[in-house]
Amino acid sequence: MRILKLATKDIRLLMRDRMAAFFIFGFPVLMGLFFGAVMGGGGGGKGKGAMVVAVVDNDQSEISKTFIDELSKNDSIKIELSSRDDAMESVRKGNRTAALVVPAGFGESAGILWQPQPEIELCTDPSKQAEAGMLEGFVMQAVASLIGERFQDPNQFLPAIEQQRQALADDTTMDPVSKSLLKTFFGSLETMLANVDQLNQNEGTEDGSPMSGIQFANIKKVPVEKRTPESAESKQPKSWDISFPQAMLWGVLGCVAGFSTSLARERSMGTMVRLRASPLAQWEIVAGKALACFMATIAVIAMMVALGMFMGMSPANYLQLATVALVIGFSFAGLMMVFSVLGKSEQSVAGVGWALNMVMAMFGGAMIPAMFMPETFRKLSVLSPVRWAIYSIEGAVWRDFSWGEQLPNLLTLLAIGIVGSVIGTVILSKRKEL
Amino acid sequence: MIEVNCVSKSYGDFKAVEGLDLVVQRGETFALLGPNGAGKSTTIGMLVGLMRPDSGSIRIDQRDPMLPTTRTMIGVAPQALAVYEELTALENLRFFASLYNDHSRIDWCLEFSGLKSRANHRVSTFSGGMKRRLNIAIAVVNSPQVLLLDEPTVGVDPQSRNHIFDCISQLQDDGMTIIYTTHYMEEVERLCKRVAIMDHGKLMAIGTVDELLERHGGDSKVSAEISNVPTGVDLPGIVNDGVLEFHSAEPLETTLRLNRAGVEFRTLNVRRPDLESVFLSLTGRNLRD
Repeated sequence: MRILKLATKDIRLLMRDRMAAFFIFGFPVLMGLFFGAVMGGGGGGKGKGAMVVAVVDNDQSEISKTFIDELSKNDSIKIELSSRDDAMESVRKGNRTAALVVPAGFGESAGILWQPQPEIELCTDPSKQAEAGMLEGFVMQAVASLIGERFQDPNQFLPAIEQQRQALADDTTMDPVSKSLLKTFFGSLETMLANVDQLNQNEGTEDGSPMSGIQFANIKKVPVEKRTPESAESKQPKSWDISFPQAMLWGVLGCVAGFSTSLARERSMGTMVRLRASPLAQWEIVAGKALACFMATIAVIAMMVALGMFMGMSPANYLQLATVALVIGFSFAGLMMVFSVLGKSEQSVAGVGWALNMVMAMFGGAMIPAMFMPETFRKLSVLSPVRWAIYSIEGAVWRDFSWGEQLPNLLTLLAIGIVGSVIGTVILSKRKEL
Repeated sequence: MIEVNCVSKSYGDFKAVEGLDLVVQRGETFALLGPNGAGKSTTIGMLVGLMRPDSGSIRIDQRDPMLPTTRTMIGVAPQALAVYEELTALENLRFFASLYNDHSRIDWCLEFSGLKSRANHRVSTFSGGMKRRLNIAIAVVNSPQVLLLDEPTVGVDPQSRNHIFDCISQLQDDGMTIIYTTHYMEEVERLCKRVAIMDHGKLMAIGTVDELLERHGGDSKVSAEISNVPTGVDLPGIVNDGVLEFHSAEPLETTLRLNRAGVEFRTLNVRRPDLESVFLSLTGRNLRD
């Protein structure tokens, strides 16, 4: 009970320190809103934060138009049709995120198994690699969708077979055996497509889709290699889903920095003498500080979740998010204990604390989301507790982690909290600074 | 009430307190007098259970001050202003009272310190004297039997100092046992019956103020402007620019004898020995060196 009184007093003191309160509760809000807006938030659909992509349609076919229409359905992309030269120039000048050139013959070959796949040229602004990566994913999605539609409508596919059969007949260089095999293949394919409607009526009715009984492996041959994260397929993240978890960590780091100086401040103010002269045990004083940090951390996460939801963030699993918040609170309270022994004066603890916070934030993805980091930095980020915290929040918000997938994150954070608490308490008691 | 038996405490090679022996009776106001670095605050720290002596023992009401149960009967006003400046006076008192689970004295403490009208004001808006009074008020919020006041008047104006003296007198009247550390001898002479003089961690002398003055104070110092000295009168000191200065165990008798012999005095100043003189006599240096 006395621990709770100590913690309540510390939180009250924190709230009276306007600057500290701002860094814990105000700064994360600004970060969340800023990055959310930069990444295309605002919920206003096209135009606001959408990637502007110049599209050059060198094919001008029904298929290429369908492909561009499909692409333009994506809220994150704003399509501007352009000539090739203008498109390339605008990307060079940074006026557009990327230029996409749909090659001549796209409509004839896209999704046709026996033909080389069309090469879609994608020219991106080198300073916008993150957007480029996302755009590749969106292009892949649009092509896949297009091919799916093509297979679903035999009338679109049969002319292509007829055209190839004619080309085969005109080819004088091919050996007779190969010609014969291909003729047989085209015949079989034509027969299968002619019976698609019949097949669907008889078998393919599980999900109401006319083609749900037929799988076409050639969709994987679309020449766009990168895929969006697997879980993003199940829940497409909004910009707030990404920006708020990382912004929450700024508040958490503010708690760590604020409370790590608290012990040093008690010493410099002389109030530590009073606390120790009271019937409080030393462990109660330490636990009071840790509890204050824990409570403030939970409060800042709760506030950011509420604000994020107001802005459009939609957590996938509330129970998991609550569990993650509790574990993060414990973990960073432990870290706070370590930080509090890194200096002897209030100033030195604050200086070292913020320096370490910045490093953890940089590598952990609180400044730039880890998903947009180069591979080397992404690997290094596992050393940062911030990374584990953000990853676990994202898991509950939009990565749609199962409890099994979330467990390693939670265990890592718990371990950090336990190790931090033990190290901090042992060093404090050895220094006899309490 | 308080027994300190041959207590020593070192910080590395530095001996902060060496072989200290003290006994303080219940209801007594006892002074620890000494310059900075004499070992007063270390002694207070051991009395309140903040640190354990390297050797020797301390007992408060026959109990170890390191025990939490013993600490409930001790109040301390540290030398540093041990208050939360961003909290109000009332919030400070409530918080510290809550550590003892005793909220009964909060109103009394506000009255006692003369801060009732400022109870809901943040301490950061208080004057130095008000903060000092609050510092003492917090020390007595748990109704302690023993009160340790470590330099309670440092940096306060004369008016606030008098207010603090009044507060301490009130606590004395209530029968509280008080240990008072200071390097202001006039405070000791005003508030304390017995004094322990410390220097370099050692106890130099202990006794009542009168006993110490008698044992170590030396003679009174007389300085007088003289206008006429008849021939043949032997002056006891040195005359410089018409001012006679001399030391005497019986200053008034000596002055009267000179006056009868025809020496005329324009002004006369007799300075009795004080604890400063005692300290000078014991250590060879001034208290505030």
